Amino acid sequence: MVATSHDVMPDIELYQPTDEANALDLANTLGSDGWILAGGQDTFGWLKDRNKNPSAMIELTQIDAWKGVREVDGGVEIGAVTTLTEIAEHPLIQSQYGLLATAASKVASPQIRNVGTLGGNLNQDARCWYYRRGLDCYRAGGNICYADSPEGLNREHALFGASRCVAVSPSDTAPALVALDATMVISSSAGQREVAAEDYFVGPARDIVNMTVLNEGEILTAVRLPSEWANAEFYFEKVADRNVWDFALVNIAAAMKVSGDTIEDVRLACGAVECVPRRLQSVEDAVRGQQRSEQLASRAGELATEGARPLNYNHFKVPLMANLVKRAVRA
Amino acid sequence: MGEGIVRYKRDVWGEEVILGVSWDLLWVIAVAIFLLLVAHAFVMAVMAKKNLDRPSKDGRRIVRHESIDRWFHWLMAASILVLIFTGTAPIIGMRIAWLDIHWISGLILTFLVIAHIIRASFWQDFKSMLLMPKDFSEPFDSSKKPGKYYFEQKGMHWAVTVVVLAVVITGVLMFMQIDTPFWDRTNSMPESQLGLVFLLHGLSTLALVALASTHIYFALRPEKIFYTRAMVSGWMSEDELAANHDPAKWAPKEAD
Repeated sequence: MVATSHDVMPDIELYQPTDEANALDLANTLGSDGWILAGGQDTFGWLKDRNKNPSAMIELTQIDAWKGVREVDGGVEIGAVTTLTEIAEHPLIQSQYGLLATAASKVASPQIRNVGTLGGNLNQDARCWYYRRGLDCYRAGGNICYADSPEGLNREHALFGASRCVAVSPSDTAPALVALDATMVISSSAGQREVAAEDYFVGPARDIVNMTVLNEGEILTAVRLPSEWANAEFYFEKVADRNVWDFALVNIAAAMKVSGDTIEDVRLACGAVECVPRRLQSVEDAVRGQQRSEQLASRAGELATEGARPLNYNHFKVPLMANLVKRAVRA
Repeated sequence: MGEGIVRYKRDVWGEEVILGVSWDLLWVIAVAIFLLLVAHAFVMAVMAKKNLDRPSKDGRRIVRHESIDRWFHWLMAASILVLIFTGTAPIIGMRIAWLDIHWISGLILTFLVIAHIIRASFWQDFKSMLLMPKDFSEPFDSSKKPGKYYFEQKGMHWAVTVVVLAVVITGVLMFMQIDTPFWDRTNSMPESQLGLVFLLHGLSTLALVALASTHIYFALRPEKIFYTRAMVSGWMSEDELAANHDPAKWAPKEAD
Protein backbone atom coordinates (compact mmCIF):
# COMPACT_ATOMS: atom_id res chain seq x y z
CA MET A 1 0.00 0.00 0.00
CA VAL A 2 1.45 3.34 -1.02
CA ALA A 3 2.06 5.75 1.83
CA THR A 4 -0.55 8.14 3.05
CA SER A 5 0.99 10.72 5.33
CA HIS A 6 -0.86 11.51 8.52
CA ASP A 7 0.10 14.03 11.16
CA VAL A 8 -1.00 11.80 13.96
CA MET A 9 0.02 8.42 15.27
CA PRO A 10 -2.35 5.50 14.66
CA ASP A 11 -4.31 4.03 17.51
CA ILE A 12 -1.77 1.75 19.16
CA GLU A 13 -1.14 0.10 22.53
CA LEU A 14 1.85 1.64 24.29
CA TYR A 15 3.84 -0.37 26.81
CA GLN A 16 6.45 1.42 28.89
CA PRO A 17 8.34 -1.19 30.89
CA THR A 18 10.72 0.06 33.54
CA ASP A 19 12.79 -3.06 34.00
CA GLU A 20 14.61 -5.44 31.70
CA ALA A 21 12.64 -8.58 32.53
CA ASN A 22 9.33 -6.89 31.82
CA ALA A 23 10.55 -5.51 28.49
CA LEU A 24 11.93 -8.88 27.36
CA ASP A 25 8.75 -10.58 28.47
CA LEU A 26 6.67 -8.15 26.43
CA ALA A 27 8.92 -8.57 23.40
CA ASN A 28 8.53 -12.32 23.69
CA THR A 29 4.77 -12.22 24.19
CA LEU A 30 3.96 -9.65 21.53
CA GLY A 31 6.38 -11.02 18.91
CA SER A 32 6.02 -9.27 15.57
CA ASP A 33 3.01 -7.31 16.88
CA GLY A 34 5.26 -5.49 19.35
CA TRP A 35 7.28 -2.69 17.80
CA ILE A 36 10.43 -1.89 19.75
CA LEU A 37 10.61 1.86 20.31
CA ALA A 38 13.56 3.84 21.61
CA GLY A 39 14.07 7.41 20.33
CA GLY A 40 11.35 6.94 17.73
CA GLN A 41 13.21 8.60 14.88
CA ASP A 42 12.80 5.57 12.62
CA THR A 43 9.47 4.53 14.11
CA PHE A 44 7.28 7.59 13.78
CA GLY A 45 7.69 7.92 10.02
CA TRP A 46 6.69 4.31 9.45
CA LEU A 47 3.71 4.48 11.74
CA LYS A 48 2.42 7.91 10.74
CA ASP A 49 2.60 6.90 7.08
CA ARG A 50 0.69 3.72 8.01
CA ASN A 51 3.28 1.65 6.14
CA LYS A 52 3.96 -0.50 9.20
CA ASN A 53 1.02 -1.37 11.36
CA PRO A 54 2.06 -3.06 14.60
CA SER A 55 -0.65 -3.34 17.21
CA ALA A 56 1.63 -2.34 20.10
CA MET A 57 4.80 -0.45 20.90
CA ILE A 58 7.29 -1.35 23.61
CA GLU A 59 9.07 1.82 24.65
CA LEU A 60 12.51 1.15 26.14
CA THR A 61 13.53 4.63 27.26
CA GLN A 62 12.55 4.07 30.89
CA ILE A 63 14.86 1.12 31.38
CA ASP A 64 17.90 2.60 33.12
CA ALA A 65 19.90 -0.63 32.86
CA TRP A 66 20.08 -0.20 29.10
CA LYS A 67 21.29 3.38 29.29
CA GLY A 68 24.66 4.98 29.87
CA VAL A 69 28.34 4.32 29.40
CA ARG A 70 30.23 2.15 31.87
CA GLU A 71 33.67 0.63 32.14
CA VAL A 72 33.63 -3.16 32.19
CA ASP A 73 36.24 -5.84 32.24
CA GLY A 74 38.01 -5.65 28.89
CA GLY A 75 36.58 -2.38 27.68
CA VAL A 76 33.53 -0.17 27.78
CA GLU A 77 29.84 -1.05 27.59
CA ILE A 78 27.26 1.33 26.18
CA GLY A 79 23.57 0.73 26.81
CA ALA A 80 21.65 0.55 23.56
CA VAL A 81 19.14 3.14 24.77
CA THR A 82 21.87 5.74 25.36
CA THR A 83 21.27 8.83 23.24
CA LEU A 84 23.67 9.71 20.46
CA THR A 85 24.35 13.10 22.06
CA GLU A 86 25.41 11.43 25.29
CA ILE A 87 27.75 9.14 23.40
CA ALA A 88 29.20 11.97 21.31
CA GLU A 89 29.83 14.05 24.44
CA HIS A 90 30.85 11.37 26.89
CA PRO A 91 34.41 11.99 28.16
CA LEU A 92 35.35 8.31 28.20
CA ILE A 93 34.13 7.72 24.65
CA GLN A 94 35.72 10.94 23.45
CA SER A 95 39.07 10.12 25.02
CA GLN A 96 39.33 6.41 24.25
CA TYR A 97 36.95 5.72 21.37
CA GLY A 98 36.89 9.02 19.55
CA LEU A 99 35.85 7.21 16.38
CA LEU A 100 32.45 6.41 17.85
CA ALA A 101 32.09 9.86 19.41
CA THR A 102 32.72 11.47 16.01
CA ALA A 103 30.41 9.06 14.18
CA ALA A 104 27.62 9.69 16.71
CA SER A 105 28.10 13.44 16.37
CA LYS A 106 27.56 13.19 12.59
CA VAL A 107 24.16 11.49 12.80
CA ALA A 108 21.28 13.62 11.48
CA SER A 109 20.80 16.81 13.51
CA PRO A 110 21.32 17.90 17.14
CA GLN A 111 17.60 17.56 17.84
CA ILE A 112 17.52 14.01 16.50
CA ARG A 113 20.72 13.06 18.34
CA ASN A 114 19.17 14.33 21.58
CA VAL A 115 16.42 11.70 21.41
CA GLY A 116 17.85 9.17 18.95
CA THR A 117 19.65 6.23 20.55
CA LEU A 118 22.60 4.07 19.63
CA GLY A 119 20.30 1.03 19.30
CA GLY A 120 17.93 2.97 17.09
CA ASN A 121 20.72 4.18 14.84
CA LEU A 122 22.03 0.64 14.45
CA ASN A 123 18.66 -1.06 13.97
CA GLN A 124 16.96 1.49 11.76
CA ASP A 125 15.36 0.08 8.64
CA ALA A 126 16.49 0.70 5.07
CA ARG A 127 16.10 4.27 3.87
CA CYS A 128 15.37 3.43 0.23
CA TRP A 129 12.65 5.90 -0.72
CA TYR A 130 10.64 3.38 -2.73
CA TYR A 131 10.52 1.10 0.30
CA ARG A 132 9.74 3.98 2.66
CA ARG A 133 7.03 5.19 0.28
CA GLY A 134 5.18 1.97 0.98
CA LEU A 135 5.63 0.27 -2.39
CA ASP A 136 5.54 -3.52 -2.38
CA CYS A 137 9.17 -4.03 -3.30
CA TYR A 138 11.25 -7.13 -2.52
CA ARG A 139 12.08 -5.85 0.96
CA ALA A 140 8.38 -5.29 1.61
CA GLY A 141 7.48 -8.83 0.53
CA GLY A 142 7.00 -8.13 -3.18
CA ASN A 143 8.83 -9.40 -6.23
CA ILE A 144 10.56 -6.36 -7.71
CA CYS A 145 13.13 -3.72 -6.80
CA TYR A 146 11.91 -0.34 -7.98
CA ALA A 147 15.23 1.34 -7.24
CA ASP A 148 17.01 -1.02 -9.62
CA SER A 149 14.51 -0.78 -12.47
CA PRO A 150 15.49 1.03 -15.71
CA GLU A 151 13.72 4.20 -14.53
CA GLY A 152 14.69 3.76 -10.88
CA LEU A 153 16.41 6.58 -9.04
CA ASN A 154 19.25 5.00 -7.15
CA ARG A 155 21.77 7.73 -6.41
CA GLU A 156 21.96 6.69 -2.75
CA HIS A 157 21.95 2.95 -3.31
CA ALA A 158 24.42 0.07 -3.16
CA LEU A 159 27.71 -0.53 -4.94
CA PHE A 160 28.24 -3.96 -3.43
CA GLY A 161 26.32 -6.99 -2.25
CA ALA A 162 23.02 -6.26 -4.01
CA SER A 163 20.80 -9.30 -4.15
CA ARG A 164 17.48 -8.19 -5.63
CA CYS A 165 17.30 -5.30 -3.09
CA VAL A 166 19.85 -2.48 -3.53
CA ALA A 167 19.23 -0.56 -0.29
CA VAL A 168 22.23 0.41 1.85
CA SER A 169 23.01 0.45 5.55
CA PRO A 170 22.09 4.02 6.56
CA SER A 171 23.82 4.08 9.95
CA ASP A 172 26.81 6.29 10.79
CA THR A 173 27.65 4.49 14.02
CA ALA A 174 27.57 0.99 12.46
CA PRO A 175 30.82 1.28 10.47
CA ALA A 176 32.50 2.85 13.51
CA LEU A 177 31.52 -0.14 15.65
CA VAL A 178 32.73 -2.60 13.00
CA ALA A 179 36.05 -0.75 12.85
CA LEU A 180 36.28 -0.86 16.66
CA ASP A 181 35.58 -4.61 16.66
CA ALA A 182 32.61 -4.06 18.96
CA THR A 183 30.36 -6.79 20.31
CA MET A 184 26.58 -6.52 20.27
CA VAL A 185 24.74 -7.83 23.31
CA ILE A 186 21.36 -9.27 22.37
CA SER A 187 18.85 -10.15 25.08
CA SER A 188 15.63 -12.09 25.07
CA SER A 189 13.50 -13.84 27.64
CA ALA A 190 15.53 -16.99 26.82
CA GLY A 191 18.84 -15.38 27.75
CA GLN A 192 21.61 -13.37 26.22
CA ARG A 193 23.88 -13.82 23.23
CA GLU A 194 26.77 -11.82 21.85
CA VAL A 195 27.46 -11.16 18.21
CA ALA A 196 30.41 -9.36 16.63
CA ALA A 197 29.35 -6.03 15.13
CA GLU A 198 30.55 -7.24 11.75
CA ASP A 199 28.17 -10.21 11.89
CA TYR A 200 25.25 -8.28 13.37
CA PHE A 201 24.15 -6.79 10.06
CA VAL A 202 22.56 -8.96 7.39
CA GLY A 203 22.48 -8.47 3.63
CA PRO A 204 19.52 -9.20 1.35
CA ALA A 205 20.98 -12.44 0.02
CA ARG A 206 20.49 -13.94 3.47
CA ASP A 207 17.45 -12.00 4.64
CA ILE A 208 15.76 -9.53 2.36
CA VAL A 209 13.30 -8.35 5.00
CA ASN A 210 15.49 -7.74 8.07
CA MET A 211 18.76 -5.84 8.26
CA THR A 212 20.11 -7.42 11.45
CA VAL A 213 20.36 -10.84 13.05
CA LEU A 214 17.74 -9.91 15.66
CA ASN A 215 15.02 -12.53 15.90
CA GLU A 216 11.48 -12.01 17.08
CA GLY A 217 11.51 -11.28 20.81
CA GLU A 218 15.15 -10.20 20.85
CA ILE A 219 16.38 -6.72 21.77
CA LEU A 220 19.80 -5.17 21.28
CA THR A 221 20.55 -4.09 24.84
CA ALA A 222 24.21 -3.06 24.84
CA VAL A 223 27.31 -2.60 22.75
CA ARG A 224 30.76 -3.51 24.10
CA LEU A 225 33.89 -1.81 22.88
CA PRO A 226 37.07 -3.82 23.40
CA SER A 227 40.03 -2.18 25.13
CA GLU A 228 42.20 -3.57 22.33
CA TRP A 229 41.23 -0.64 20.12
CA ALA A 230 41.00 2.05 22.80
CA ASN A 231 43.17 5.09 22.09
CA ALA A 232 44.05 3.89 18.60
CA GLU A 233 44.35 6.40 15.79
CA PHE A 234 40.89 7.02 14.37
CA TYR A 235 39.42 8.51 11.25
CA PHE A 236 35.75 9.08 10.47
CA GLU A 237 34.37 11.02 7.56
CA LYS A 238 30.86 11.26 6.25
CA VAL A 239 29.86 12.74 2.92
CA ALA A 240 26.20 13.63 2.49
CA ASP A 241 24.24 16.06 0.37
CA ARG A 242 23.78 18.27 3.44
CA ASN A 243 26.10 18.65 6.38
CA VAL A 244 23.23 18.28 8.84
CA TRP A 245 20.11 16.10 8.90
CA ASP A 246 21.05 13.77 6.10
CA PHE A 247 22.12 10.21 5.56
CA ALA A 248 25.59 9.40 4.29
CA LEU A 249 26.22 8.97 0.59
CA VAL A 250 29.38 7.24 1.80
CA ASN A 251 31.07 7.22 5.18
CA ILE A 252 34.35 5.71 6.31
CA ALA A 253 35.51 4.57 9.74
CA ALA A 254 39.10 3.58 10.42
CA ALA A 255 40.90 2.39 13.54
CA MET A 256 44.66 2.13 13.24
CA LYS A 257 47.58 1.27 15.44
CA VAL A 258 50.49 3.23 14.12
CA SER A 259 54.10 3.12 15.23
CA GLY A 260 56.18 5.84 13.69
CA ASP A 261 54.96 5.82 10.11
CA THR A 262 54.15 2.12 10.09
CA ILE A 263 50.58 0.89 10.24
CA GLU A 264 50.85 -2.05 12.63
CA ASP A 265 47.19 -2.98 12.65
CA VAL A 266 44.06 -1.56 11.12
CA ARG A 267 40.31 -2.08 10.78
CA LEU A 268 38.33 -0.22 8.15
CA ALA A 269 34.62 -0.14 7.43
CA CYS A 270 32.60 1.79 4.93
CA GLY A 271 28.94 2.69 5.26
CA ALA A 272 26.19 3.41 2.69
CA VAL A 273 27.81 1.34 -0.05
CA GLU A 274 26.22 -2.01 0.83
CA CYS A 275 23.27 -3.26 2.83
CA VAL A 276 25.71 -3.93 5.69
CA PRO A 277 28.69 -1.87 6.87
CA ARG A 278 31.36 -3.03 4.45
CA ARG A 279 34.50 -4.19 6.18
CA LEU A 280 37.47 -3.49 3.89
CA GLN A 281 39.54 -6.55 4.65
CA SER A 282 41.56 -6.47 1.42
CA VAL A 283 42.60 -2.89 2.20
CA GLU A 284 43.48 -3.83 5.77
CA ASP A 285 45.67 -6.69 4.52
CA ALA A 286 47.35 -4.44 1.98
CA VAL A 287 48.25 -1.64 4.39
CA ARG A 288 49.00 -3.65 7.52
CA GLY A 289 52.72 -3.50 8.26
CA GLN A 290 53.29 -0.88 5.57
CA GLN A 291 54.76 2.60 5.84
CA ARG A 292 52.20 5.32 5.28
CA SER A 293 52.63 7.07 1.99
CA GLU A 294 50.61 8.76 -0.72
CA GLN A 295 51.17 5.74 -2.93
CA LEU A 296 49.90 3.32 -0.28
CA ALA A 297 46.83 5.48 0.30
CA SER A 298 46.05 5.56 -3.42
CA ARG A 299 46.45 1.79 -3.68
CA ALA A 300 44.12 1.40 -0.68
CA GLY A 301 41.47 3.51 -2.41
CA GLU A 302 41.70 1.43 -5.58
CA LEU A 303 41.51 -1.82 -3.65
CA ALA A 304 38.49 -0.66 -1.67
CA THR A 305 36.37 -0.18 -4.76
CA GLU A 306 37.36 -3.38 -6.55
CA GLY A 307 34.24 -5.31 -7.48
CA ALA A 308 31.94 -2.30 -7.18
CA ARG A 309 28.84 -2.59 -9.37
CA PRO A 310 27.32 0.86 -9.66
CA LEU A 311 23.68 1.31 -10.62
CA ASN A 312 22.31 3.87 -13.11
CA TYR A 313 22.83 6.95 -10.95
CA ASN A 314 25.42 6.14 -8.30
CA HIS A 315 28.67 5.84 -10.25
CA PHE A 316 29.92 8.89 -8.35
CA LYS A 317 30.10 6.75 -5.22
CA VAL A 318 33.04 4.76 -6.62
CA PRO A 319 35.58 7.63 -6.67
CA LEU A 320 33.98 9.05 -3.52
CA MET A 321 34.56 5.80 -1.66
CA ALA A 322 38.09 5.46 -3.06
CA ASN A 323 38.96 8.99 -1.93
CA LEU A 324 37.53 8.51 1.55
CA VAL A 325 39.56 5.34 2.02
CA LYS A 326 42.62 7.12 0.68
CA ARG A 327 42.15 9.95 3.17
CA ALA A 328 41.60 7.50 6.02
CA VAL A 329 44.85 5.67 5.29
CA ARG A 330 46.77 8.88 4.67
CA ALA A 331 45.44 10.76 7.70
CA MET B 1 -3.63 -7.69 0.01
CA GLY B 2 -6.31 -10.36 -0.26
CA GLU B 3 -5.18 -13.93 0.43
CA GLY B 4 -6.61 -17.10 -1.04
CA ILE B 5 -4.66 -19.04 -3.59
CA VAL B 6 -3.34 -15.84 -5.13
CA ARG B 7 -1.78 -12.81 -3.47
CA TYR B 8 -2.33 -9.41 -5.03
CA LYS B 9 -0.63 -6.05 -4.58
CA ARG B 10 -0.76 -2.53 -5.96
CA ASP B 11 1.89 -1.81 -8.56
CA VAL B 12 3.81 1.46 -8.79
CA TRP B 13 0.85 3.04 -10.65
CA GLY B 14 -1.66 1.93 -8.03
CA GLU B 15 -3.15 -0.82 -10.19
CA GLU B 16 -3.95 -4.19 -8.64
CA VAL B 17 -1.62 -6.88 -9.99
CA ILE B 18 -0.79 -10.46 -9.06
CA LEU B 19 2.04 -10.78 -6.56
CA GLY B 20 2.31 -14.57 -6.44
CA VAL B 21 0.91 -17.64 -4.79
CA SER B 22 -0.27 -17.55 -1.19
CA TRP B 23 2.39 -19.39 0.77
CA ASP B 24 -0.15 -20.43 3.40
CA LEU B 25 -0.89 -23.16 0.88
CA LEU B 26 2.52 -24.67 1.59
CA TRP B 27 1.27 -25.67 5.04
CA VAL B 28 -2.05 -26.87 3.60
CA ILE B 29 -0.19 -29.08 1.09
CA ALA B 30 2.24 -30.34 3.74
CA VAL B 31 -0.55 -31.33 6.15
CA ALA B 32 -2.77 -32.82 3.42
CA ILE B 33 0.03 -34.93 1.95
CA PHE B 34 1.14 -36.06 5.39
CA LEU B 35 -2.40 -37.18 6.30
CA LEU B 36 -2.92 -38.94 2.98
CA LEU B 37 0.37 -40.82 3.23
CA VAL B 38 -0.28 -41.79 6.85
CA ALA B 39 -3.71 -43.07 5.84
CA HIS B 40 -2.18 -45.03 2.95
CA ALA B 41 0.49 -46.49 5.23
CA PHE B 42 -2.22 -47.55 7.69
CA VAL B 43 -4.34 -49.26 5.02
CA MET B 44 -1.28 -51.00 3.59
CA ALA B 45 -0.24 -52.18 7.05
CA VAL B 46 -3.65 -53.79 7.55
CA MET B 47 -3.56 -55.39 4.09
CA ALA B 48 0.02 -56.59 4.55
CA LYS B 49 -1.20 -59.07 7.18
CA LYS B 50 -3.12 -60.85 4.48
CA ASN B 51 -0.37 -60.86 1.88
CA LEU B 52 3.15 -61.40 3.12
CA ASP B 53 4.50 -63.07 -0.02
CA ARG B 54 7.13 -61.05 -1.76
CA PRO B 55 9.21 -62.09 -4.77
CA SER B 56 12.77 -63.08 -4.03
CA LYS B 57 15.61 -60.77 -4.94
CA ASP B 58 17.88 -63.79 -5.41
CA GLY B 59 18.48 -65.66 -8.62
CA ARG B 60 19.19 -64.30 -12.09
CA ARG B 61 19.17 -60.57 -12.52
CA ILE B 62 17.87 -58.42 -15.33
CA VAL B 63 18.70 -54.80 -16.17
CA ARG B 64 16.02 -52.30 -15.21
CA HIS B 65 17.94 -49.02 -15.50
CA GLU B 66 21.14 -48.24 -17.38
CA SER B 67 23.83 -46.48 -15.41
CA ILE B 68 23.37 -43.19 -17.27
CA ASP B 69 19.63 -43.17 -16.49
CA ARG B 70 20.29 -43.77 -12.83
CA TRP B 71 22.67 -40.84 -12.80
CA PHE B 72 20.02 -38.68 -14.47
CA HIS B 73 17.47 -39.74 -11.90
CA TRP B 74 19.58 -39.10 -8.83
CA LEU B 75 20.99 -35.82 -10.09
CA MET B 76 17.49 -34.64 -10.92
CA ALA B 77 16.28 -35.79 -7.52
CA ALA B 78 19.12 -33.98 -5.76
CA SER B 79 18.59 -30.75 -7.69
CA ILE B 80 14.82 -30.84 -7.09
CA LEU B 81 15.29 -31.41 -3.36
CA VAL B 82 17.83 -28.57 -3.18
CA LEU B 83 15.45 -26.33 -5.13
CA ILE B 84 12.54 -27.16 -2.83
CA PHE B 85 14.65 -26.57 0.27
CA THR B 86 16.23 -23.32 -0.87
CA GLY B 87 12.94 -22.05 -2.28
CA THR B 88 10.89 -22.73 0.82
CA ALA B 89 13.51 -21.98 3.49
CA PRO B 90 12.98 -18.19 3.44
CA ILE B 91 9.21 -18.74 3.39
CA ILE B 92 9.31 -20.76 6.59
CA GLY B 93 11.59 -18.19 8.22
CA MET B 94 15.06 -19.68 7.75
CA ARG B 95 17.71 -17.07 7.14
CA ILE B 96 20.12 -18.51 4.61
CA ALA B 97 21.76 -17.12 1.49
CA TRP B 98 19.56 -19.25 -0.71
CA LEU B 99 19.32 -17.47 -4.02
CA ASP B 100 22.65 -18.44 -5.60
CA ILE B 101 22.26 -22.09 -4.58
CA HIS B 102 18.70 -21.99 -5.92
CA TRP B 103 19.52 -20.69 -9.39
CA ILE B 104 22.58 -22.91 -9.75
CA SER B 105 20.45 -25.97 -8.88
CA GLY B 106 17.78 -24.66 -11.23
CA LEU B 107 20.28 -24.45 -14.07
CA ILE B 108 21.50 -27.98 -13.35
CA LEU B 109 17.91 -29.25 -13.39
CA THR B 110 17.20 -27.43 -16.64
CA PHE B 111 20.18 -29.05 -18.38
CA LEU B 112 19.29 -32.46 -16.95
CA VAL B 113 15.70 -32.15 -18.14
CA ILE B 114 16.80 -31.16 -21.64
CA ALA B 115 19.31 -34.01 -21.76
CA HIS B 116 16.69 -36.45 -20.47
CA ILE B 117 14.15 -35.38 -23.09
CA ILE B 118 16.70 -35.86 -25.86
CA ARG B 119 17.84 -39.24 -24.56
CA ALA B 120 14.29 -40.47 -23.92
CA SER B 121 13.22 -39.39 -27.42
CA PHE B 122 16.06 -40.99 -29.38
CA TRP B 123 17.85 -43.59 -27.30
CA GLN B 124 15.29 -45.01 -24.91
CA ASP B 125 12.05 -46.86 -25.41
CA PHE B 126 9.85 -43.76 -25.28
CA LYS B 127 6.71 -45.81 -25.81
CA SER B 128 7.27 -47.69 -22.56
CA MET B 129 6.37 -44.51 -20.66
CA LEU B 130 3.32 -43.56 -22.74
CA LEU B 131 -0.03 -43.70 -20.99
CA MET B 132 -2.48 -45.35 -23.37
CA PRO B 133 -6.26 -45.67 -22.86
CA LYS B 134 -5.93 -49.38 -22.16
CA ASP B 135 -3.54 -48.65 -19.29
CA PHE B 136 -6.34 -47.05 -17.28
CA SER B 137 -7.93 -50.43 -16.57
CA GLU B 138 -4.66 -51.86 -15.25
CA PRO B 139 -5.06 -50.77 -11.59
CA PHE B 140 -8.48 -52.45 -11.42
CA ASP B 141 -7.58 -55.73 -13.11
CA SER B 142 -5.12 -57.89 -11.17
CA SER B 143 -4.71 -60.24 -14.14
CA LYS B 144 -3.16 -57.44 -16.19
CA LYS B 145 0.54 -56.96 -15.72
CA PRO B 146 2.34 -53.94 -17.11
CA GLY B 147 5.42 -53.62 -19.29
CA LYS B 148 8.44 -51.77 -17.89
CA TYR B 149 6.36 -49.21 -16.00
CA TYR B 150 2.99 -49.72 -14.37
CA PHE B 151 0.11 -47.27 -14.45
CA GLU B 152 0.94 -45.35 -11.26
CA GLN B 153 4.59 -44.99 -12.26
CA LYS B 154 3.62 -43.57 -15.62
CA GLY B 155 1.12 -41.26 -13.95
CA MET B 156 3.75 -40.02 -11.52
CA HIS B 157 6.26 -39.54 -14.33
CA TRP B 158 3.90 -37.42 -16.45
CA ALA B 159 2.67 -35.40 -13.48
CA VAL B 160 6.28 -34.68 -12.54
CA THR B 161 7.05 -33.87 -16.19
CA VAL B 162 4.31 -31.24 -16.39
CA VAL B 163 5.19 -29.71 -13.04
CA VAL B 164 8.96 -29.72 -13.63
CA LEU B 165 8.55 -28.16 -17.06
CA ALA B 166 6.35 -25.45 -15.52
CA VAL B 167 8.82 -24.81 -12.73
CA VAL B 168 11.78 -24.79 -15.16
CA ILE B 169 10.17 -22.42 -17.68
CA THR B 170 8.98 -19.96 -15.03
CA GLY B 171 12.27 -20.40 -13.20
CA VAL B 172 14.26 -19.43 -16.29
CA LEU B 173 12.06 -16.32 -16.70
CA MET B 174 12.71 -15.41 -13.07
CA PHE B 175 16.39 -16.20 -13.46
CA MET B 176 16.56 -13.51 -16.14
CA GLN B 177 15.38 -10.97 -13.55
CA ILE B 178 18.36 -11.39 -11.23
CA ASP B 179 22.07 -10.63 -11.48
CA THR B 180 24.17 -13.61 -12.48
CA PRO B 181 27.72 -14.08 -13.75
CA PHE B 182 26.20 -14.28 -17.23
CA TRP B 183 24.25 -11.01 -17.32
CA ASP B 184 23.15 -8.01 -15.28
CA ARG B 185 19.48 -7.97 -14.58
CA THR B 186 17.36 -5.48 -16.46
CA ASN B 187 14.45 -5.59 -14.02
CA SER B 188 12.26 -4.55 -16.91
CA MET B 189 9.47 -7.14 -16.97
CA PRO B 190 6.10 -5.46 -16.33
CA GLU B 191 4.86 -6.08 -12.81
CA SER B 192 1.68 -7.84 -13.94
CA GLN B 193 3.68 -10.34 -16.04
CA LEU B 194 6.24 -10.79 -13.28
CA GLY B 195 3.42 -11.54 -10.84
CA LEU B 196 2.00 -14.17 -13.17
CA VAL B 197 5.41 -15.83 -13.50
CA PHE B 198 5.80 -15.82 -9.70
CA LEU B 199 2.31 -17.28 -9.33
CA LEU B 200 2.95 -20.13 -11.78
CA HIS B 201 6.35 -20.84 -10.24
CA GLY B 202 4.77 -20.91 -6.79
CA LEU B 203 1.91 -23.18 -7.86
CA SER B 204 4.28 -25.61 -9.58
CA THR B 205 6.51 -25.53 -6.50
CA LEU B 206 3.56 -26.54 -4.33
CA ALA B 207 2.71 -29.35 -6.74
CA LEU B 208 6.34 -30.44 -6.75
CA VAL B 209 6.41 -30.57 -2.95
CA ALA B 210 3.35 -32.84 -3.04
CA LEU B 211 4.71 -35.07 -5.82
CA ALA B 212 8.22 -35.33 -4.38
CA SER B 213 6.86 -36.30 -0.95
CA THR B 214 4.57 -38.90 -2.49
CA HIS B 215 7.37 -40.27 -4.70
CA ILE B 216 9.78 -40.59 -1.78
CA TYR B 217 7.12 -42.28 0.31
CA PHE B 218 6.39 -44.91 -2.33
CA ALA B 219 10.09 -45.38 -3.06
CA LEU B 220 10.55 -46.35 0.59
CA ARG B 221 7.50 -48.64 0.85
CA PRO B 222 8.57 -52.25 1.56
CA GLU B 223 6.67 -53.69 -1.42
CA LYS B 224 8.22 -51.11 -3.78
CA ILE B 225 11.70 -50.84 -2.37
CA PHE B 226 13.12 -53.19 -5.01
CA TYR B 227 12.39 -50.46 -7.57
CA THR B 228 14.49 -48.06 -5.49
CA ARG B 229 17.21 -50.70 -5.28
CA ALA B 230 16.99 -51.01 -9.06
CA MET B 231 17.42 -47.24 -9.33
CA VAL B 232 20.57 -47.52 -7.20
CA SER B 233 22.10 -50.72 -8.55
CA GLY B 234 20.37 -51.01 -11.91
CA TRP B 235 19.03 -54.58 -11.55
CA MET B 236 15.99 -56.50 -10.38
CA SER B 237 15.60 -60.24 -10.04
CA GLU B 238 13.78 -62.44 -12.51
CA ASP B 239 11.42 -63.34 -9.69
CA GLU B 240 10.57 -59.67 -9.14
CA LEU B 241 10.12 -59.24 -12.87
CA ALA B 242 7.78 -62.20 -13.14
CA ALA B 243 5.71 -61.13 -10.15
CA ASN B 244 5.21 -57.54 -11.26
CA HIS B 245 5.66 -57.28 -15.01
CA ASP B 246 4.57 -58.97 -18.20
CA PRO B 247 7.64 -60.33 -20.07
CA ALA B 248 5.64 -60.16 -23.28
CA LYS B 249 5.46 -56.39 -22.91
CA TRP B 250 8.94 -55.87 -21.52
CA ALA B 251 11.88 -58.13 -22.24
CA PRO B 252 14.92 -56.70 -20.49
CA LYS B 253 18.42 -58.02 -21.04
CA GLU B 254 20.21 -60.03 -18.41
CA ALA B 255 22.44 -58.18 -15.98
CA ASP B 256 26.18 -58.94 -15.91
